[in-house]
Amino acid sequence: MTRWGMVIDAERCVGCQACTVACKTENQSPHDAWYAPVIEWEAGVYPDATLNYLPTLCNHCEDAPCVTACPSGAIKRRDDGIVIADEDVCIGSRACMAACPYGAINFLENSGTASMPGSSVASQPSVPERYARQQHVPGAISKCTYCAHRIDYGIENGLEVGVHPLATPACVVTCPAECRIFGDLDNPDSNVSRYLEAKGPGEVLRPDAKTSPNTKYVGLP
Amino acid sequence: MTSPSLASDHTGAPLPRNVFMDQFSLEPRTQRVWDLNHAVWFTLMGLGGGVFLVGRFLNLTEDLGHWIGIPTIDMISFAAIAVGGMILVADLGRPLQFWRAFANVRTSWISWGAWSDLIFLTVAGLLVLPALRFGGSRPFSGLGWDPDGSNGAGLTLEIIAGIAAMVVMTYAGAVLARPRSIPYWSSLAIPVQFLLSSAAMSVAVVLVIEVIADEPISGGQMVLLAVLAAGLLVALVGHLLTRTDTPGKKESLDGLLRGRYRHVFVGLVLGAGTALPALLGFVGAAVGDLRDALSVICFGLLISGGFLLRLITLRVGIFPPVYIPSNQR
Repeated sequence: MTRWGMVIDAERCVGCQACTVACKTENQSPHDAWYAPVIEWEAGVYPDATLNYLPTLCNHCEDAPCVTACPSGAIKRRDDGIVIADEDVCIGSRACMAACPYGAINFLENSGTASMPGSSVASQPSVPERYARQQHVPGAISKCTYCAHRIDYGIENGLEVGVHPLATPACVVTCPAECRIFGDLDNPDSNVSRYLEAKGPGEVLRPDAKTSPNTKYVGLP
Repeated sequence: MTSPSLASDHTGAPLPRNVFMDQFSLEPRTQRVWDLNHAVWFTLMGLGGGVFLVGRFLNLTEDLGHWIGIPTIDMISFAAIAVGGMILVADLGRPLQFWRAFANVRTSWISWGAWSDLIFLTVAGLLVLPALRFGGSRPFSGLGWDPDGSNGAGLTLEIIAGIAAMVVMTYAGAVLARPRSIPYWSSLAIPVQFLLSSAAMSVAVVLVIEVIADEPISGGQMVLLAVLAAGLLVALVGHLLTRTDTPGKKESLDGLLRGRYRHVFVGLVLGAGTALPALLGFVGAAVGDLRDALSVICFGLLISGGFLLRLITLRVGIFPPVYIPSNQR
């Protein structure tokens, strides 16, 4: 059984926010919606001060509280582990936003239009437009889908997911430091499984929330 | 353009609802998806279900006046739930899609709530239908059940409506308590607080209707009011004293007891809205002559305290940081 997941090596992140912007252009998210922000914070005191980065996105949890809380059934977990939101079915109750421990869900208060229309092919190789959402629904929520449209396109066209750029999430493809790795967590030979084998089991964010995320972290400070 | 909201962060700074910059920060985040409208909705739902149950429990439904043939108590209950439901629908991002809220009964407490509201209004409405008066006639009097639940069919409807009313009173708290995302909310204490607050408010409403209808208030009714308020006080204090160092809840408690909401929470919710009505209830139980006056005072205190309890509970909903660096744990 396939279980798509991402490993993020925080030690490698340089804080360029290229993933944040690549996600925005790929998904045409409205100006006030961010699916993949990179958190940054200072630690220590000069001369031992450091700037730390934490790339984030939807954690695509096994036990996703957003799926449980959603009254309309707009948020679903696919068989391959990807948690997707159907904006057309969403009623805008925002119960998912209150339930998500990661702040990964955006409410499209007024704007349903893309922030950078027509720019989706500018920053990274992109799949044909029919796979990507170009218009969002005002009053609904939206979130990261692990670029499910690119994964589906890759599978349909025989491309190796997580390896071929057109079959890999935009944030992964665009990262100059290669700190994001995407693949099948249930396949011991996949790039994510091999990376976790080399670097340790990985940590998850907010372990107290007991959501069993499919986004794992290594190299956290 | 985002619309302004009354929400603020745990330091008291006002925040628009959809500001995004805190997604880039490793600080605790104050929730701002639910605020004033939800507090009103939670209060009205608690009252709507509670007033119906209390009226039936105290067997006062038929004694406290009627409006077009329907007991005043039931009319207040229906009106509260109908208005609360409309406020909720209006607050949805896509109000015209509200019917989809009934879809996820498998796991969503909001879906459970939507169904319980519908079932309550339908079944309780059916229950009182034979009593409905148009002019001098009762067009539905031949329906075959008694509106006071004194025959088999009437009792069955009353029990179903009562169970639905109980869920109506409870589900708002359960919506907050079920996910683990916000530690202050993630506790059985929240639905218990909401349930006890709803019950106490509802008893106060019924007592005021008794005063208006010039019916005598018994000592037992005052004791019931006092015990519910005292139980709420215990539930509130117990929640304040547990898991105080948990990230997220610690900031919520700071806001409630030392920060922006300390005066409102300690003074108006804990003191005037809960402890004082409990005390007055016991006084009223002992001194018969004061019951009418104390009932009216308790009504004002419990309703305002109950509303503020819900509003402040929403406003101190704080997400802890998504990650706490190893040197800060």
